[in-house]
Amino acid sequence: MIRGLQDIIRKVRPHLRLNTRLINYYWQRTKRNKLAVAGLSFLIFLVALAIIGPFFTLDPTEVNFEEKNIPPVGFGIEQSVYNIETDEFTTKEIHGTWRHPLGTDSKGRDMLAMIVSGARISLLVGLIATGIAIILGTIIGVLSAYLGGWADNALMRFTDVMMTFPFFLLLVLIVFIFGSNLAFIVLAIGLTGWTGTARLLRSESLSLRTREFITAAKAMGASDNRVIFRHLIPNVISLIIVIATLSIPGVILAEAALSFIGLGDPTVPSWGIILEAGQHSLNTAWWVAVEPGIMLFLTVLAFNFLGDGLRDAFDPKSNI
Amino acid sequence: MGKSWLRDYIIKRLIYSIIIAFGVITITFILVRVGPSSPADKYLANIAATGQDPAQVTAAIDARYGLDKPILVQYADYMGNLFRGNWGWSFSTSMPVIELIKTHWIYSFQLILLSSLFAAFLGILIGIYSAVKQYTKTDYAFTFISFTGISIPNFWLGVMLILIFSVKLGLFKTYYDTTLPLFSIDNLKALVLPVITLGTGMLAGYVRYTRSAMLDNLRKAFVTTARAKGLPERTVIGKHVFRNAMLPLITIIMFDLGSIVFGGAYLTEIIFGIPGLGQVSFNAIFANDYPVVVAVTLIGTFLVLLINLMTDITYTYLDPRIRYD
Repeated sequence: MIRGLQDIIRKVRPHLRLNTRLINYYWQRTKRNKLAVAGLSFLIFLVALAIIGPFFTLDPTEVNFEEKNIPPVGFGIEQSVYNIETDEFTTKEIHGTWRHPLGTDSKGRDMLAMIVSGARISLLVGLIATGIAIILGTIIGVLSAYLGGWADNALMRFTDVMMTFPFFLLLVLIVFIFGSNLAFIVLAIGLTGWTGTARLLRSESLSLRTREFITAAKAMGASDNRVIFRHLIPNVISLIIVIATLSIPGVILAEAALSFIGLGDPTVPSWGIILEAGQHSLNTAWWVAVEPGIMLFLTVLAFNFLGDGLRDAFDPKSNI
Repeated sequence: MGKSWLRDYIIKRLIYSIIIAFGVITITFILVRVGPSSPADKYLANIAATGQDPAQVTAAIDARYGLDKPILVQYADYMGNLFRGNWGWSFSTSMPVIELIKTHWIYSFQLILLSSLFAAFLGILIGIYSAVKQYTKTDYAFTFISFTGISIPNFWLGVMLILIFSVKLGLFKTYYDTTLPLFSIDNLKALVLPVITLGTGMLAGYVRYTRSAMLDNLRKAFVTTARAKGLPERTVIGKHVFRNAMLPLITIIMFDLGSIVFGGAYLTEIIFGIPGLGQVSFNAIFANDYPVVVAVTLIGTFLVLLINLMTDITYTYLDPRIRYD
């Protein structure tokens, strides 16, 4: 097992050398799309926030009922407070404080800390699940195109079956059956989300397969392994990057939607879990539902802008 | 040629759909059988309380559900039952699953139908306008808005609409009133927020697809010909360009129905408390009511299969240039 893995790494590593000249060229093209650059900047900020943010914020799990439902800075709400001595409810005007810049939830937890730790989880879910889906899709797509015949037929019919399932309904079924552990949710999204990638890569590889440089490589006696890793994959890598960028938001949203309907992992506060809790306290603390939603929205928007920009940059036919 | 070719194609396509349906059923069967829980699980607490032997009772329940038979026999039974319309018993609502679905499907249907009409109508109009006025300020504004619409999580949009229009402004009820008659103005009013919630994502997609399909066709030679022979611009856009752009749009709208809309409708029903199939499945999840959850996913999948089949056939019928071999 380990030997096999080492073998694969030894084979793949030389092909992963970065071609700096090409990267620079694509970067120059991407740079011209202002929205893509804005998206990229936001994502870099978000990743930095997710990595170092938790060291600076309060403890997101710390419950404090003395400080519950405090609005964000700049907002004030009327809150009825129970006075234990007089046994009466009195209304009190509460304003946001800089101790809790984004306010607190119904258990007095700091929203900023929860949003930051939620960023970590939502980003990790997006990256890992997309990684699984893309790798699986690439393997199935390229293999299908390369093997042809009955293997191609079988793989593609299987893809058709998986594609027929409405993505979210299948996800709900799987998570319902196997339980809502976060690791399992990530795996489930990865194992169901590969179909589009497989289809695209199959058709791309099919057209590449008949091109002269592949025929030439084969004529010179290149092995199947070499043709696939050295010639096919490097030529579809730009397509893979675009698909990955455009799939991540869907994956983040899928996890959030699962959490939203109560199928999320209650032990891990992703943005979806916070939103689900906030939904029930719209009357008393609207910001708990608003803040994670804005973060979700901005993250998805940023990935969409970046993905669109990359697609244009990688497309030799587009004039940008 | 002509007619018989189309008939052969439809038959081929039908057989293919049946094969896919078998695949779909097989996968759900495997998922349910591989899954860690069994129908006996929900009785275990009771069993322990009454002091019976859990292993014995579990075996009895498994036998009742046919889980003690060889796996291939179980598979054949499962298939047979599905085809005979015996979709199992929902113990949380105490009725056959098929009856449950018969009483609730209409709510999902009205939501999806109204949302699709709203999104397709408005989306196509805006898309055409954007394409005709390409690179103007309005075009940029619409492009930006449609990006926003695609990126907004639709369940969050639903919650925000409730927060603004129901909680703060009090214009709508926060929950869907199930006592309203289906075909009434009040019912339509109750569906305004859900339709906007579900329709926005689709709408944004349709704007982008329509715009690019229109732009593709606007550059074609036949448009220049139409203009050159002195047709008014209205006719050129409406009759020549739009009709050609329409075909790929139909496929995209149909494909969206399966991949995006069913999931979106599921969430929208839960947010607004509309008693459609999504809500039914949602309630069943928390009652651990297996057959219902499986049935809703299966119905969604079969509908996608049916829609794909119908799209393909209409497509070949509408566009005589298409020939599949």
